[in-house]
Amino acid sequence: MLLTCDVSFVYRQRDQPALDRVSVNVSRGDLLGILGPNGSGKTTFLRILGGTLRPSSGSVTLDDRPLSQWSRRDIARRIAFVPQETHPPFDFTVLDLVLMGRFPHLGRFALEGPADLAIARQAMAATNTEAFESRMLGSLSGGERQRVAIASALAQSPEVLLLDEPTAALDIGRQFEIQQLLTRLNREHDMTMVLSTHDLNFAATLCRRLVLIRDGRVLADGSTDDVLTAAHVRALYDVDADVHRHPRAGHMTITPIGRV
Amino acid sequence: MTRAALIAHVLLCVVLARMPTFGQEQPHRVVSLVPATTEMLFAMGAGDRLVGLGSYDRFPPQVAAIPRVGGLLNPNTERIIALRPDLVILYETQEELKRQLERADIPYYRYEHQALPDITSTIRALGERIGAPQRAHDVAVGIERDIEAVRRSVAGLDRPSTLLVFTREPGSLRSITASGGYGFLADLMDVAGASNVFGEIQQQSVQASAEMILARRPDVIIELQYGAGAVGRSDGLEAWKTLASVPAVRTGRVHVLTGDQFVVPGPRIVLAAQQLARAIHPQ
Amino acid sequence: MRSIHARLALTTSAFGALLLGALLVAPLVGSTSISLARVFDRSLPFEDNVDAQIFFIARLPRVVAGALVGGALAAAGVVFQALLRNPLAAPGTLGVSAGAALGAMVAITFGLDISLAGLPSIPLASFAGSLGALGIVYALAAARRRGQSTTVLLLAGVTMTAFFSALIMFTQYMADFTDTFRTVRWLMGTLEVGGYAPLVAVAPMLLLALVLVSSLPRSLDLISVGADSAAARGVDVVRTERVALLSASLATGAAVSISGPIGFIGIVVPHLVRLLVGSDHRLVLPASVLFGAAFLIMSDSLARTLFAPVEIPVGVVTALTGGPFFLWLLLRRI
Repeated sequence: MLLTCDVSFVYRQRDQPALDRVSVNVSRGDLLGILGPNGSGKTTFLRILGGTLRPSSGSVTLDDRPLSQWSRRDIARRIAFVPQETHPPFDFTVLDLVLMGRFPHLGRFALEGPADLAIARQAMAATNTEAFESRMLGSLSGGERQRVAIASALAQSPEVLLLDEPTAALDIGRQFEIQQLLTRLNREHDMTMVLSTHDLNFAATLCRRLVLIRDGRVLADGSTDDVLTAAHVRALYDVDADVHRHPRAGHMTITPIGRV
Repeated sequence: MTRAALIAHVLLCVVLARMPTFGQEQPHRVVSLVPATTEMLFAMGAGDRLVGLGSYDRFPPQVAAIPRVGGLLNPNTERIIALRPDLVILYETQEELKRQLERADIPYYRYEHQALPDITSTIRALGERIGAPQRAHDVAVGIERDIEAVRRSVAGLDRPSTLLVFTREPGSLRSITASGGYGFLADLMDVAGASNVFGEIQQQSVQASAEMILARRPDVIIELQYGAGAVGRSDGLEAWKTLASVPAVRTGRVHVLTGDQFVVPGPRIVLAAQQLARAIHPQ
Repeated sequence: MRSIHARLALTTSAFGALLLGALLVAPLVGSTSISLARVFDRSLPFEDNVDAQIFFIARLPRVVAGALVGGALAAAGVVFQALLRNPLAAPGTLGVSAGAALGAMVAITFGLDISLAGLPSIPLASFAGSLGALGIVYALAAARRRGQSTTVLLLAGVTMTAFFSALIMFTQYMADFTDTFRTVRWLMGTLEVGGYAPLVAVAPMLLLALVLVSSLPRSLDLISVGADSAAARGVDVVRTERVALLSASLATGAAVSISGPIGFIGIVVPHLVRLLVGSDHRLVLPASVLFGAAFLIMSDSLARTLFAPVEIPVGVVTALTGGPFFLWLLLRRI
């Protein structure tokens, strides 16, 4: 599947690399969380993984072929990206936005046909957004808009979903919705997912595997249970936290206690 | 002198001193921002009193030596005041300049640009103002007489429908500005024995579209050229050929008249009238 | 919801019909009454047929100019609004209009008298000015690093417009009265372009712009949602933005050079159309071109006849009719 080998990335006019020899492998069906504080390089990593940003050194391979050899459209047919927020300057209908996901398959000139419409509707069904089909994007709440964005990505018929801070702007109820949705997609549709987040508890609930990044470097890479320790939390966030498995929920919970 | 008489005398002096200087002294340092009044002053022999002129004066040749102080839009108040004038002839619309002159206690004369008869009345009024009423009267009478002569010379002849064009874009028939029924050029057309094709439009200028010209079918088209770049603009009258059904174009009666006398409503208006009459009535 | 095919067909035929109607009616309307029978009366030689002369020489070029200029400005408006991700963007936003105005100003003040390919000196200089402005903007866009927001481009455009306008004002102030008067006239805009020659001259430019623009609509949809997500979906964002900039500026420059700046079309027609057909650029772009053309033709017909025989500047009509109508549409929506 996806394999990254030692990618580094430096923004122009900066001395510090945004990513320093980050090496991560992603297998089919993975539910991988990239965890780290703000500015640690998570979004940059996602963009490199998705091929929209070229690494300064190293490469990303998809199916054993480097991304640089893939055409943009071919990548888009395999990998879909869900941005943190969707706020277009012009108001589109939900169906319009979801249908935009068909672009990698249709190109600039082809118009969507019944097959594309069916795929779009399936995507909306999977995200519980069918009822919004004719609604204007601007009339939806943040959580609804996020689900539509995910539907739009699903319409690309991808194998991999990259999500950038999917719940950053959502309240606990909407977060829970998204978390359930992503779990379902991963389990029922075998969707590989890589998401970036700074929310420890969300990562602990959703992801089976975590990569901890700080200052552009990988701190730890492994299963959630192994990797989420008080020591790692301290190293990532400079915060003393209580880390333990929640008796009822069944997953790890992290509660900050004091500053280091 | 009795006390009362002394007080009365003092009071009288004070009152006289505060009165506007109209008619009291002959101005000897005159600034003229208006080309027309400059020519008028020279015509009445008062040209030597001019110490400052507007930037667009070109006639008579003596103006070359006189310093410039700006024009309608950009009068240079500092320079005007520095010349220590005792009379400034300015445009009626130059409000800001008027106020500044009032503050500097410099008298001014307000010039308004209107119809043909106003030229001679302005000459007379200016003559009074600068203290040369007799000369001014002579000049005015001369102009009136010459204009009358032109009018008589074409009396009884046909009055061809005439389009008088002020300006258009070179090389094309775009943005044609023509004379409306009002203003001294419209009056000149009347004197020269022409019927203004836009006579019923009570404006000084009309934006003439191709449709308007085609519909009104002028017998004569006269284009005016003036200003610094006048001589040499030879885009020719080719552009008019597209309006083939216009009588003026078909009979070749499209003429160009050059010179500032057409846009400066002063003494040279007589020349303008004569040239216009000759173009319209070649006989 | 109807398929995109059906909606595209419906939109183009509806707006196309509107344009056709305008094209057919406008040449018949004017300050002079003419008889259509006499216009096409072959027995009369053309030079003698006043009605035919009015129809073919005075009115038809204006109608064609209205279609070309209205369509070009509307298309440019749509593209700029998508490119700059800003609903307030207009064809003049990036300074192309101001460059054209400066070119015209220079030609007027220095009495230039050269013509090329049927374009007399003022439209020629105006087009050159717009190309100059386009060159500056393009260089700025190319220098922009990936990921830099469009705000830089917007600011550059606003600055250039202000700078050119200041130059124009300065020249007007120093020029003699006639030149100032002619510049002011030019700045008001008119469809009296002076015959077919200027139209033929700019047609290739407009055709080129049209060809470039036709590849953009879907990409513009995706880019307006976000440059990153567009790239992630396979859009070549850099190339799309460059083509958009080039085509919209070319269309604006060509249009403004023959008609002078006519406001309101580039900013309001796209919004009006969006209120009617939605935001999909594959519908908005063709609809705007057709509607912009029809709108300008109709506005010019009004300008020619409202206070006949005197004509009002067409830009005044577009603003006075478009504005209230747009407000009404907006209020209905709220």
